[in-house]
Amino acid sequence: MEAHAAAEQHHGPPPANVSSRIDARVLGMLLFIGSEIMLFGSFFTAYFFVRVVNHDSWPAKGTHLPVFVAGINTAILVTSSFTMHWALTSIKRGNRAGMRAGLALTFFMGLTFLLTQIAEYSRIGFAPNDSAFATIFFSLTGLHGMHVFIGLLLLLAATIRAFRGHYTPEHHHGVEIPGIYWHFVDVMWIVVYVTVYVL
Amino acid sequence: MTAIAAEHGVHMTPAPPGPRGIRRLLAPGYVRCLWTIPLMFGFGAGIAALVRWLEAWHPVWNGTVITTISLATIPLGFLGGIGGFDYWLGYAIGRPTQPEDHSGHGARSWKDYFRVNTDHKVIGIQYVATTFVFFIIGGLMAMLVRAELAKPGGQFVDSQTYNSLFSIHAALMIFLFIIPVFAGLGNYVIPLMIGAPDMAFPRLNALSYWLLPIAGVMFASSVLVPGGGFATGWTGYAPLASHQPLGQVFFNMGVQWAGASSIMTALNFLVTIITMRAPGMTFWRMPLLVWANFTTSLLVVIATPFIAGSQFFAMFDRVMHTHFFDPIGGGYALGYQHIFWFYSHPAVYIMMLPGFGIVSEVISTFARKPVFGYRLMAFSLVAILILGFSVWAHHMFVAGMAPWLRVPMMVTTLLIAIPTGIKVFSWLATLWEGRIKFTTPMLFALGFVSMFLIGGLSGIYLGSVPIDIHASDTYFIVAHIHYVLFGGSLFTIFAGLYYWFPKMTGRMYNERLGKIHFWMTLVFFNATFFPMHYLGLQGMPRRVYDYAPRFAGINMFISICSFILGASALLFLYNMITSWVRGPLAVGNPWRANSLEWQVSSPPPIFNFDAIPTVVAGPYEYGVPGARHAIMADEAKTADSVHAEAEEVRH
Ligand SMILES: [Cu+2]
Repeated sequence: MEAHAAAEQHHGPPPANVSSRIDARVLGMLLFIGSEIMLFGSFFTAYFFVRVVNHDSWPAKGTHLPVFVAGINTAILVTSSFTMHWALTSIKRGNRAGMRAGLALTFFMGLTFLLTQIAEYSRIGFAPNDSAFATIFFSLTGLHGMHVFIGLLLLLAATIRAFRGHYTPEHHHGVEIPGIYWHFVDVMWIVVYVTVYVL
Repeated sequence: MTAIAAEHGVHMTPAPPGPRGIRRLLAPGYVRCLWTIPLMFGFGAGIAALVRWLEAWHPVWNGTVITTISLATIPLGFLGGIGGFDYWLGYAIGRPTQPEDHSGHGARSWKDYFRVNTDHKVIGIQYVATTFVFFIIGGLMAMLVRAELAKPGGQFVDSQTYNSLFSIHAALMIFLFIIPVFAGLGNYVIPLMIGAPDMAFPRLNALSYWLLPIAGVMFASSVLVPGGGFATGWTGYAPLASHQPLGQVFFNMGVQWAGASSIMTALNFLVTIITMRAPGMTFWRMPLLVWANFTTSLLVVIATPFIAGSQFFAMFDRVMHTHFFDPIGGGYALGYQHIFWFYSHPAVYIMMLPGFGIVSEVISTFARKPVFGYRLMAFSLVAILILGFSVWAHHMFVAGMAPWLRVPMMVTTLLIAIPTGIKVFSWLATLWEGRIKFTTPMLFALGFVSMFLIGGLSGIYLGSVPIDIHASDTYFIVAHIHYVLFGGSLFTIFAGLYYWFPKMTGRMYNERLGKIHFWMTLVFFNATFFPMHYLGLQGMPRRVYDYAPRFAGINMFISICSFILGASALLFLYNMITSWVRGPLAVGNPWRANSLEWQVSSPPPIFNFDAIPTVVAGPYEYGVPGARHAIMADEAKTADSVHAEAEEVRH
C-alpha cells in the first residue's frame, strides 16, 4: 500500500517490530491461497469419488463437453496472467502507462473468460441435477468461476486506483497482491481444465 | 470499563459526537442496517428469480432457494451496515490508503463493545462475551435434553424436536463456543505475549468477530423455521441431511459463516506471530500458548475448507437436487463422511491445542517451575498437527467404507497417543517438586489433566476397531466426547478465563467462589458423564429420545447431576459479572508470571506497550536465579532517568 497516510499521526501505538522478511500482506495472501487450495481440494475429492471410486461415465452418456471453446478460454486466462505480470514489472520500473494498460487488459480478459463460461453454461445441454457428472462439472467450474469473479473485483479495485494515480515503484502492494491471487486463479483453472475437460 | 479506565489513569479522548438525523442512515451503525439488509436481500432474491425466469424453472419465486440465498445476502447487508466493509469499499474506489489509525481503539463505554472496533483487546472481550452467550443457550438445550431423558418414554418433546435440541446444542458448543472462545482469548493475549501493539490486520480482525454472531443466530433461529430446526446431529450426514426440513440449510450456512470467521482469525494469528514478534522473541522463546495458537491456526487454515465443501455439497443436494452423495444419480454416499471428517477430526485438535497452551502457562506459573521439555512440548504440538490429518476414517469403522482402510487408520489414531502422552507427562514433570499454589486457574488446569486423561484413554478404546464396532453410536461415545470437550476443552477455558481475568478486566475475581465453582464442576461433571460409559457398554444408543426401562435409574441420576452441573455454570457467571463490576482492583502481575502480558498494567494500556520490549530469554524461567524473560522499554528508560537524576544531584 502507498504511504498516503496522514503525516501527523496522533498519539498512536509504538511501531511493531518487524520479525520477518516477508511482508505481512503478501504472507496473508499466500496463507489465504493455501486455504483456497484446500477448498478446491474438497471439490476435487468429490470429483475423485464420482469419477474414480464410482466409475461414472465421464462425460455422462449423451453429453459432451465443449473442449475446444474451453481451450480458447484457457488461452485467454493464461495470457491474462502475463499481462498481470507486465503490469507489476511496469510499475516496479516506474512505467505507469504500462501498469494501467496491463491491469485493464487483465481485467477485460478475465471478464471475457467469465462471460464465455456463462454462455457455455447456457448452451451445454445438461443441468446440475441431471447426473453426478453434471453436478461435479458445474461445481468445479462454478467454484472456479466464483474465484474469477472475486479476482475480478480485486483487479477492478487495483485498476481504478491505478487510473486515479496511486502506486509508485516503491509502493505497489495493491498491484502485487491481487496479482498473486490472479496467478493462483489461473493455475487452478489449468488444473480444472485438464481434469474436467481433457482427461 | 469506564470506571476502571479512569481509576487506572488510562488517557482516553471523549468519543466524538455521533451523527444526527438523516446522516445516521449513512454512518456505520445499526441504523444503516435498516436499508442495507433489505437492499442485499432484494438483490439476492432478485438474482435468484431472474435466473429461474431465464431458465423457465417454476415457480420463479422459490421459497427454499430464496431462503438459502438470503442466508448469505442478509448477513452481508448487516456487515455492510455496521461498517465492516467501509474501508475496503473506499479503497476500491480509489481513496487514499490509511494504515489503521487506531482512533477507535479502546472501549470508552459498554456501548463500544457493540460496535465495530479494531482493538484486539476489545475484540477479544467481544469474542469471549459472545461465545458465553451461546454457551448458555447451548447449555440450556443440554438441560432440556437431560430433562427429556430423565425417564423412559416421551416427556416434553417429540422425537424431531429432541433431535434438533441435541443437534443445535452440539453445533453451538463446537462452532460458537469452544472454537471461537479460544480465538477470543488468543486475540486478547497473543499480541501482548509476543510484544506487538495489535494484530497484523486489525480491520480483518473486527470483521472476523462480526461473522460469529451471524452464525450463532443462524443455528439458534433454525428452530423457528417451518418444520423445525436441523435434526441430523452436528455431523449433518448426507444423504439424511438432504431429506430434512428447511432448518437444515440454516446449519449448512451457519457453518460457512463460523468457518469463514475462524479462517480469517487464523490467518491473522499466523501473520501476527510470524511478522510482529518483539526483538529477541525467537520461535524458541515464544510462550507455549503462542505455539499452540500457531499450530491451531495452521490446522484451521488447512482443514476448515473441507467442512465448507461438505456443507456446500449437502446443501446443493438438498436445495438444487444435485447428486454429490445421492447414489441414485451416481453420487457417492460415503463421500460426505470422508470430506466431513477430514475437517472434523482435526477440529478436535482445533478445540484442544489452545487449551494445551493455556494449561502449560497456568501449570508453569503456579508450580513456579520451568515447563519440563519446552521444545518437546512445541514439537508434540506440531506432531499432533501432522498426524491429525491421517486419522479421519476412525469415525467410519462401521460406515461400510473399504475394509482395508480400517487398520491403517487405527494405527495412526493410536500413534497420536504418543505426542499427547508427551504433553501429559511433561505437565506432570513440571508439577514435580514444584511449589504449587492451588488457585482457581491451577485447579482447573489440574482437573483438566486428569479428566482429559480419562477422555484420552476412552479414545484409545474407541480407536481400536473391535471395541469401536461394539461401542459405536452408544452412550460410550457421548461419555468420551464430553470427557474430551468438557473435561478437556471447557476446563482449560475456565482455567484461562480465571487466569487472565485480572488482565482483561483490571479486577480480581472472587477466589472462594472460583474454588466452589471448580469443585462443583469437577464432581458433577464426573457424576453426569462417567455413568454414560457404563450405559453405552450396556447398549443404550445415543441420539434417541426414548430408551429401555432398565436404564431408567441411571438416567434419572445423570439428569439430576447434570442440572447441578448446569447450576455451577451460573455460579461462574455470577462471579465473573460481579467481579468485573466491583471486584478489587488487580495489580499488573498478580500471579508473578514471566510472560509479557503480565509486565504491563491491568488492563493493559490502549496500545499495549509504550515502546516494544526486548526479549532476552524463554518465558518460563521460574526459580532460575537472575533469569528474566524480557526487558521492558520503560524499564530501560527509568534506569536512564534515575542515572541522569543522580548525575544532576552530583553537579
Ligand atoms: Cu477423530
